[in-house]
Amino acid sequence: MEERLEQYLQRLPKVEPGRSLAPSVMARIAERERPSYRRYKRWVVVFGAAVLFVLMLTTNLPLTPRLELFGYRTVRLVFCSTVRNPKTVAVAGDFSDWESIPMERIDENCFALTLRLRPGKYEYGFLVDGKWVPDPLSLRAVADGFGSVNSVLVVDGDTE
Amino acid sequence: MWEQSDREIIQEVLNGNKDLFAVLVARYEKPIFNYVYGLVRQKQDAEDLTQEAFVKAFFALKTYKDSFEFSTWMYRIARNVCLDYFRRQKIRSFFSLNTPVGEEEEDEFGDFLPEGKDPEEGVLKEELLERVSQAVGQLPLKFREVIVLRYVEELSYEEIARILDVPVGTVKTYLHRAKAKLRELLGEEFS
Repeated sequence: MEERLEQYLQRLPKVEPGRSLAPSVMARIAERERPSYRRYKRWVVVFGAAVLFVLMLTTNLPLTPRLELFGYRTVRLVFCSTVRNPKTVAVAGDFSDWESIPMERIDENCFALTLRLRPGKYEYGFLVDGKWVPDPLSLRAVADGFGSVNSVLVVDGDTE
Repeated sequence: MWEQSDREIIQEVLNGNKDLFAVLVARYEKPIFNYVYGLVRQKQDAEDLTQEAFVKAFFALKTYKDSFEFSTWMYRIARNVCLDYFRRQKIRSFFSLNTPVGEEEEDEFGDFLPEGKDPEEGVLKEELLERVSQAVGQLPLKFREVIVLRYVEELSYEEIARILDVPVGTVKTYLHRAKAKLRELLGEEFS
């Protein structure tokens, strides 16, 4: 019986590859000999993502998307005139396409208006009885190109 | 026609004539493929692993030492590639009793016609051979590979010992135990 098993083992079929493997082997070798960046492109991407993730967690660099920049903010503009008892006060800016929006009187010399604006930087000014007046409470102003200045409103909560 | 020896080819490849490695591949792809196929029993995987073994050999060629035949070294690399494959696939169950036989494998058996004038006897032998082959596929890896190296690759005990990096005595023990296990699997026809 030992001999019988031997005979069958010796007759186990030899299997050949369906084709010559040499061309595929040489192609694989060529592929792996390419510049290392291309070979390890996937790992470079993974490494880069890992570094970014660590930086996002451990630093204050502006790397995370600022979700607070989406949507509208409520901004209340207040103008208190140095001229006594002005008749009309309006505001105009690039947020209104420079159309004037009348402001509501809140006392004898003060007017207010509530706006809903997206976060960003806006130029504006007040029209006090038709005369252009920059916002005296704004800390930032830019020349308007017509010899006067516009105030700058930065919407993330504060008026400058 | 004069044929370059393995060592001469290796030296030329190391000197920069990389394309010559294809000659070594062509020279040994059949025995290495046979060995790999004997272990993994899947033709597509065997082709892929055989290619991988040659690629690894190419990049490790500097470490090849003359103390081994190139073929022995290739068998060792192919063996490691197969072990990695098994680890990756986590298919230890591959060695279980449920190992399926693919259609390709069955076709290959169809080509085999055993000796014997009686066609009925021939069919019986063919079926028996298929059962033996399936039983080999069910052996634990260390037993299976000695059977493949000894009976399919027709290597000497010494060569097998060098490939497996074990003493010759261990090879003989494995073979003895492998055949005992085969007889157990095959039942009364071989016991």
